[in-house]
Amino acid sequence: MDLSKRKNFYYVFSLVICMIIGGRLIQLQLINPEKFDKDAERNSVKTIITTPARGLIFDRNGKLLVDNKPSYSVTITKKEFDTNSIPMVCGMLGIETEYLKGELKKIEGTNRFIPTRIMRDVDFRIISFIEENREYLKGIDYSIDPIRLYPTDFKGSHIIGYTKEVSEVMLKKQNTDYYKQGDLIGTTGLEAGYENYLRGEKGFEFILQDSKGREVGPLNDGKNDVKAVSGYDLILSVDAEVQKYAEKLLEGRTGGIVAMDPKTGEIICMVSKPDYDLNNFSGKLSPKIWTALNTDPKKPLFNRATQTRYPPGSTYKMVSALASLQEGILKPNSTIPCEGSFKFGDRVFGDHGAYGSITIPTAIEHSSNVFFYKLVLRIGLANWNKYGQMLGFGNRTGIDIPEETKGLLPSAEYYNKRYGPKGWTEGFVVSLGIGQGELGVSPLQMALYTSILCNSGTFLQPHLVRDLKNPLTGELTPIQYKKHEVAIDKDYFKVIQKGMYLVVNGSGTAKGIRTSDVVIAGKTGTAQNPHGQDHSWFIAYAPFDDPKIAICVMVENAGFGATVAAPIAQRIILRYLLGLADETEVRDTFGGD
Amino acid sequence: MQAKLFDKFNFVVFFSALGLITFGLVAIYSATFGNELVSGNFTKQLVSACIGVIVVLAIMYTPPKYIAMSSYIIYGIVLILLIAVIFLGKKIKGQTSWFSMGGFGVQPSEFAKVATVLALAYFLSNKNKEADVTKFRDFMYAVGICLLPVALIMLQPDMGTTLVFLFLLLPVLYWAGMPNYILFFIVAPAITAICAFLGTWYFVAAVIFIIAMMLVFKKNILISVVIVCISIASGFSVNMVYNKLQPYQQKRIQSMFNPESDPLGAGYNVIQSKIAIGSGGLSGKGFLQGTQTQLKYIPEQWTDFIFCMVGEEFGFIGSIAVVLLFLILIWQTIHIAFLCKNQFLSICCIGFATIFSFHILINLGMIMGIMPVIGIPLPFMSYGVSFLLSNLIMLGIILNAYRNRKDYV
Repeated sequence: MDLSKRKNFYYVFSLVICMIIGGRLIQLQLINPEKFDKDAERNSVKTIITTPARGLIFDRNGKLLVDNKPSYSVTITKKEFDTNSIPMVCGMLGIETEYLKGELKKIEGTNRFIPTRIMRDVDFRIISFIEENREYLKGIDYSIDPIRLYPTDFKGSHIIGYTKEVSEVMLKKQNTDYYKQGDLIGTTGLEAGYENYLRGEKGFEFILQDSKGREVGPLNDGKNDVKAVSGYDLILSVDAEVQKYAEKLLEGRTGGIVAMDPKTGEIICMVSKPDYDLNNFSGKLSPKIWTALNTDPKKPLFNRATQTRYPPGSTYKMVSALASLQEGILKPNSTIPCEGSFKFGDRVFGDHGAYGSITIPTAIEHSSNVFFYKLVLRIGLANWNKYGQMLGFGNRTGIDIPEETKGLLPSAEYYNKRYGPKGWTEGFVVSLGIGQGELGVSPLQMALYTSILCNSGTFLQPHLVRDLKNPLTGELTPIQYKKHEVAIDKDYFKVIQKGMYLVVNGSGTAKGIRTSDVVIAGKTGTAQNPHGQDHSWFIAYAPFDDPKIAICVMVENAGFGATVAAPIAQRIILRYLLGLADETEVRDTFGGD
Repeated sequence: MQAKLFDKFNFVVFFSALGLITFGLVAIYSATFGNELVSGNFTKQLVSACIGVIVVLAIMYTPPKYIAMSSYIIYGIVLILLIAVIFLGKKIKGQTSWFSMGGFGVQPSEFAKVATVLALAYFLSNKNKEADVTKFRDFMYAVGICLLPVALIMLQPDMGTTLVFLFLLLPVLYWAGMPNYILFFIVAPAITAICAFLGTWYFVAAVIFIIAMMLVFKKNILISVVIVCISIASGFSVNMVYNKLQPYQQKRIQSMFNPESDPLGAGYNVIQSKIAIGSGGLSGKGFLQGTQTQLKYIPEQWTDFIFCMVGEEFGFIGSIAVVLLFLILIWQTIHIAFLCKNQFLSICCIGFATIFSFHILINLGMIMGIMPVIGIPLPFMSYGVSFLLSNLIMLGIILNAYRNRKDYV
């Protein structure tokens, strides 16, 4: 027997064993150790997300309008959660098992090691229950999350807006993976418009845990932890006192008010009625309230100041006037005869009275329809549309909240598209001349328009936020807004301003709001409403020779513009400029379109 | 003097074993670090190692004939202990394999491995009786010597250890002169059974291979056909037996081959150990820095899963060093077996080399997820006083064989 041959067999055999082991070592440790590295990390590191406090919101005078308060949320960590404890958890939270199963389904595919909120703003009683029964409630924990607190009686619901739990659609749409199931996200108003500033940055704490899930201490002595960064505070241009006063004036009615500073574009107050209580949205929103708000026929969630699209009526007449002046169709002292009615084709368009041959200011003062019927036919639809756009209609103004309508500024293309090239006549244009027909504008657009009229042609992007404030350093960063000059001669604005002066201070349609305290200029308007009583519009600015406030008031179903809208505008102007508050009820005794 | 020392003492074997023990101690220190329940394990292992080195030297200087003569006595004592442990032993995790003596647990099955090799070697090298493995009767005696402890250990039950005995038999018999074709006859049904379990095509390939080998050996046609038939039958019976098993038993076998199929049960340790080793990368996370090890993701990692710590904290460099030390130790042992004129010691060396090889294949293979989950420890490294001592006794006999390699008796 030759052992020297058999010996080799044993050598090879043991070599093969070591090569198998060595090969596997290469495969595991050298080819893709990152995969195992991650697994090892996930195994042992628990990530705790700390929610930053949302930025605070202050009014223009530094008054705190929106604050935060702590609340408790119940969280679930899928990796540790035992589905056998579903009934216990549901009993504790007072929810249906189906609901919890649904919530669990929603977080499928997300990181199993990160706790996800399943219920917000729970009672402290539940938190102590969790603390006492930890061993039976594996994977159930709670987190302390700041929620919104509204410390004053300031409402401003449509300005501030609300936050809601991020929806599944939004979670899928986001470019980053910042938001997780159960996170709050600004949904409307400033909360949405400034979401990226207000939200801050989440913090992460990495905690080592052993195989039993017990925490053994911070990872790497906490050097990898990321501190949560509070969001930026917002300093608004809104005057909380004026806002409150304006909200009160419109209480019980349906409509919108926007007042802005014609020198800066800052919004002083913005009201939409009916409104809603933001406190309902802090913490967990009851489904009952949510349904009620959504099904209310008066649509309280709808922002009437920025989203309505009503014809502006006579308040729009200054657009045609400016267009005719700039295009050289009328001279500032040119006159047009106003006979009291206007026959166009087969149709007769009426007027409030016969004024004879009148100039633009007089036509504005009396809101003569015939004057503007004739004028719009002379300037033509194209020019009428062009000047409308220059003055901010048919486009978003760029206000810093997402709710805003473009409105509707008809053009030849629009009519062609809607009625066919032969389906419409110049008769349509006649209605547009007095701000009726398809034309649709929002109170915000009207306030901007008023501001351009009174500052003689400066287009200022309307905005609610003046500065961002760094909560740590207190440093203020002013926000830059757009601004440009409208291509209309400044002198022509003087003609318009004279007309608007006369509306209040001559024998015009709003002479009822004349006051010795301050010189107000304005214009009334009535939006024909085929569904009910007309909507009343009033735009105004003051003081006449150095405007500090431009305002638009729109009240739905209130009849003539001068009846309700004009006195409300007058009171807000007095409140803002002089601090005068008239607590008596607004009387509907003024007349005139 | 120096030349004489080298001539009598095999430094390569001794220091590779010492290196492995050192690695083991470091690993045990890390694996039990901060764990108060088992923090004494490191000291116990260190003390055992020190005592063990004395045992090694004592055995090394013992005249070979005394060792040979006491083989059956040692074998007998171990058999008695194996019977006694079933009645008097301590039950740990469903296995009754321990005697509790003072603070130490004694595990007779570990010493049984050494004793069985000694008894086999003594039987096969007994010149008076002229034992001849080609003779059926002597072959069955040898099998009997091996299966007796297997039967007793199965009663504990400790499947991993019994496999060591079964695996031991063929290499030892082959070294003692068993012809190639008999080795093949025995291996053939086993190969077919394993292949049949893996899949139909493996099975077919195995059968073709066996028929081809039969043609190479050119033995009696009848015997060849019988062998092929037995192989095919064993292939079929494996699946039949498997299908007759209870579902939970099938699941256990499944998870032996595929740990991921049962991530929270039997497969858990393997998934965690793979993560530990894989995450070590080239140079490891550093001593006491392994998250898997330090956060105790692997239960009782100081015993069977000790290599995880090396893999995680010392990375590929540390791991491959351990594998190389094993290879050096085993090759040197085979080399000594070849050099040694004393057939008893020569067979002992082959037996021990086989035991080491089988242990590292099964243990490291299991830890890295390429071998079924069978719990046997890693020689010289895993914590365990009995296991370490039995390994050192083997080392002592290997060194003895080297020292006396030129003498026939």
